[in-house]
Amino acid sequence: MASVELRDIRKSYGVLEVIHDVSLSIREGEFIALVGPSGCGKSTLLRMIAGLEEITDGEVLIGGKVVNPLTPRERNIAMVFQSYALYPHMTVAENMGFNLKLSGLSKPEISKRVGEAARMLALTELLDRKPSQLSGGQRQRVAMGRAIVRDPAVFLFDEPLSNLDAKLRVQMRTEIKALHQKVATTSIYVTHDQIEAMTLADRIVVLNGGRIEQVGTPLELYRTPANLFVAGFIGSPAMNVLDGTVDAEDGEPAVRLRDGTAIRIAPERKVRRGQAVRIGLRPEHFVASGEGNAIAGPTRLVEPTGAQTHVLFEFAGEQITAVVDGDHPARHGTLFKAAMDRSQIYVFDRATGAAL
Amino acid sequence: MTDTTSAVRMTTGTRIYLYVSLSLVAMLVLIPLVTTALGGFKSLGDLRVNPFGLPSEWVWSNYLDILFGDRYWRQMLNSLFIAIVTVMLTVIVSAMAAFTFAHVKFFGANQLLNYFLIGLMFPAATAILPLFIRIRDLGLLDTYWGVILPQVAFGLGMSILLFRNYFRNLPEELFQAAFVDGCGYIRFFWHISMPLSRPIVSTVSIITFVHSWNSYILPLIMLNTETKYPWPLGIMVYRGEFGTEWQLVLAFITLTILPTVIVFFVAQKHIIAGLTAGAVKS
Repeated sequence: MASVELRDIRKSYGVLEVIHDVSLSIREGEFIALVGPSGCGKSTLLRMIAGLEEITDGEVLIGGKVVNPLTPRERNIAMVFQSYALYPHMTVAENMGFNLKLSGLSKPEISKRVGEAARMLALTELLDRKPSQLSGGQRQRVAMGRAIVRDPAVFLFDEPLSNLDAKLRVQMRTEIKALHQKVATTSIYVTHDQIEAMTLADRIVVLNGGRIEQVGTPLELYRTPANLFVAGFIGSPAMNVLDGTVDAEDGEPAVRLRDGTAIRIAPERKVRRGQAVRIGLRPEHFVASGEGNAIAGPTRLVEPTGAQTHVLFEFAGEQITAVVDGDHPARHGTLFKAAMDRSQIYVFDRATGAAL
Repeated sequence: MTDTTSAVRMTTGTRIYLYVSLSLVAMLVLIPLVTTALGGFKSLGDLRVNPFGLPSEWVWSNYLDILFGDRYWRQMLNSLFIAIVTVMLTVIVSAMAAFTFAHVKFFGANQLLNYFLIGLMFPAATAILPLFIRIRDLGLLDTYWGVILPQVAFGLGMSILLFRNYFRNLPEELFQAAFVDGCGYIRFFWHISMPLSRPIVSTVSIITFVHSWNSYILPLIMLNTETKYPWPLGIMVYRGEFGTEWQLVLAFITLTILPTVIVFFVAQKHIIAGLTAGAVKS
């Protein structure tokens, strides 16, 4: 278990810079998720920590020691890959014990450590099988077993659940969380799935275009996004965004939308009259009735998911998604009426995207 | 999928055309082989009056005399030794070179690869004189190495090309996982790449083996002692000795062809798998 620190990390491919001055401190035993859209640099950053990618500028410290010149093995990290990357010609036991064998450990020691990891991951019965004889979930567990046996300072996960079906993904997510609680090894987990990040991580790092947009606990990111990008990325379904201008309604701050509708916002928002802004409405913050801004429009689409129903309706010339109770009587073509408390209305500067 | 679709769409006319043309090609290959094999069972007189038909009397002694003599087996061992050492050296050297070209970036890599690939355009026969001089200068004339080393050198172009394409198609993440596990290039080569490369090792081995097995010019130029002759040279010597007794020559030729044909039938799946490796996403 070790801390990880990134100091002003930059990565360029020729003249193209893909990671720009990224700095980050990860505490011992912490579970950090790197999230962001495709091409944001999260996997590149992970590979630089692993030592699989050269660092153009800056320093990576593991356990307080600069590891830039060290090989992945010397960094004492273990990595779980998206495609599992199991050696097809080796059995499960050989896959898990391969790095121990390279370290020169004795056969009984390798067998003991592989056995312990296999018990932890319920792989004992599968030790003699080849990867081709395993299911996707079993392969992923072997990949994790391979990481565990060496007792690394840091676990690195590169979208490990992307190749699994939805049900198995949820199951494996639980297993990864349980495993982290058991071994408490510092973990860095790359994913583009914000639900995975929210459920697993102690803190989430949101990346965009090779830059960190925000670092915080899952709830911090959800409740107080630093900017429009983070607000749009965290939360599912995504936040609804409407353009408007800051105005006043009955002496209270409000945002006037393009169609003239006024949406009252919390008085503590740092806005000035006439400022061009964007407001954000989380789909799950709509309530069927209650205090606050009344929002209504014709229903365009109803998507029941069981416990909840997603309603797409038209408001102020935009398509808005609301998440309501599963038994809500919304129907296509009828008027959908809801309310949202002004404290739930997010306001962002239209030019910079910064939260106000 | 494509095969199935094309098979379904094939009309009867196309099918007849295919069967007829393929049968013609098969006959072109099989008639000389069968005639040679049957000729070995005939007496000289029978062969003269009935060169293509079945023997009027099966003369087994033509084959048995060769099989019970020492010349056939000695020459076979010579051929085997030369071919096996050539295969081993070619596989090891070309696999290592191809691995470097596939995974290690270094200045001039492409130019060096192209240099090797130029070798594909020149069979050993085109450089026989300089080769002879070089082998003589190395003191390897009339030794097996005088045949083996040029064979390896001239086989490298094709083998490197096949190995490199195969190695490049191994998943990149496998390489990275091994790197994280503590492998360097050499360990990755021995522990991961080579065990996963059985199909291409088979292909390169078979191609190299057959090439060495059939090699005639190189042994002819490099070897002087008859006891070191491999089969292709042995056939010529045998023909010189028994030039008028064609039935014996045909029996000798049949017995020398047989191992290659057997090897090809046993290993043809590997040859085709290796040659087409990486052509489509698996």
